[in-house]
Amino acid sequence: MPLWEKRRSALILAGLLAFHILLISLQVPRGAEKSVFERAVFFLFSPVPRVATGAVRGIVSVWNGYFDLRRVRGENQRLKREAFFLNQDVRFLEDRLHFYRSEAQLKESLAGFRGTIVPARVIGVDSANPHQSLIIDKGSLDGVGKDMAVCDMFGSLVGRTIDPVSLKETMVQLITDKDSSVSVVSVVDRLTGSMNGRSGPVCELRYVLASVAGGQPGEELLTTGYDKIYPPGIRVGRIQSLEKDEASPIFRRILVTPYFRFNTIDVVAVLTKAPGGER
Amino acid sequence: MRETIAKDVLQAFLATLAAVFIYSVAGGSAPALLVVFNAFSVVVLYFSVRRGEVFGAVLGTVCGLTQDAFSLGVFGVAGLTKTLLGFWAGYISRRIDVAPFTRNALFMLVMSVLEMALWVLITAVVRPASVNLHGGLSLLQPLVTAVLGSSLFAVERWIGARSSRGA
Repeated sequence: MPLWEKRRSALILAGLLAFHILLISLQVPRGAEKSVFERAVFFLFSPVPRVATGAVRGIVSVWNGYFDLRRVRGENQRLKREAFFLNQDVRFLEDRLHFYRSEAQLKESLAGFRGTIVPARVIGVDSANPHQSLIIDKGSLDGVGKDMAVCDMFGSLVGRTIDPVSLKETMVQLITDKDSSVSVVSVVDRLTGSMNGRSGPVCELRYVLASVAGGQPGEELLTTGYDKIYPPGIRVGRIQSLEKDEASPIFRRILVTPYFRFNTIDVVAVLTKAPGGER
Repeated sequence: MRETIAKDVLQAFLATLAAVFIYSVAGGSAPALLVVFNAFSVVVLYFSVRRGEVFGAVLGTVCGLTQDAFSLGVFGVAGLTKTLLGFWAGYISRRIDVAPFTRNALFMLVMSVLEMALWVLITAVVRPASVNLHGGLSLLQPLVTAVLGSSLFAVERWIGARSSRGA
């Protein structure tokens, strides 16, 4: 009997293990950058969450729509949609007012703002840790690309689009992911730093010098735009606590509670261009 | 031989589709649920016990890589652990009787614990910062996997018994 027949199972296992070890060895030096093979797997299976969430939403929608007051529900949906867009508009109008003083500048900015929001539904969350990433139902066909800011329905920052971006699905890195970093500034005392995720519900504001005074719990943080990914002025979260960092005498240890909540991110807005049209 | 392999790969693909579907529904209803519930592990365990070690290993590879593709972790780690999970589960279930409910649940619990331990170990070596047990909540994952996996077999046996009684 040939060796293949006698040791078939063991040989298949050895082959598969060697394949995985090779994959891991190739992935580790690449860091967060996705390989072609990983993108291919994502492309292949990413329509499934869309079908699954669509089916569940369809069943729930049929149930609610048929047995509840259909007219009232329809009107409620319409108002929610309007409120969603109005929230985004108000948010950006406020932000623009901070950054542009003259009326002419404001008009120019608003002209470029039209058509820059792509509303999207969340169809999946990270399979290993829900605080790391999301999958949305908009892709390159809808004008969504890599490194676009994503906000929730209240205009608070959720994260940014990352690879893989397929035709109708895109992965979003949440601001709570440990590899996420957002340049932020506090609204009152102008503490500027980098807000990093911890793959949990709370984030950390880093690189604020211990010698810098000010800052208090509850103070709001906005994006600065220095990172060239997130447009300036988007609400990010509130300072939860400030204390001395035992590990590093140079910087302060500041914890931040992000504004976005999982229960309010079934619908998000992808900012395909920064307000004013620049990207 | 070639037909069998092609059939196995196709069935593994369909089982993976089922796993992604369950994962999506679970994640859509409550994202925090995914900390304690791994649909891919349940599917790999269930089919490995039914179809043996070779199918288990192939299914583990497909399911694991799919899980990796839907996560920001290192691509291949879940693939490796689930390949071993599928192989072990299929191999051992061919040599000991895991049909009774309690033995089945215990067997799945041991397999799931081994898988999680291996995942933590490999992740700690490859990218230490990625190990996050969510304050210990993730440790419930093997228990949930074992209960769900053995419940699937119990339901299957119950349906089988009813249909044979009916016939």
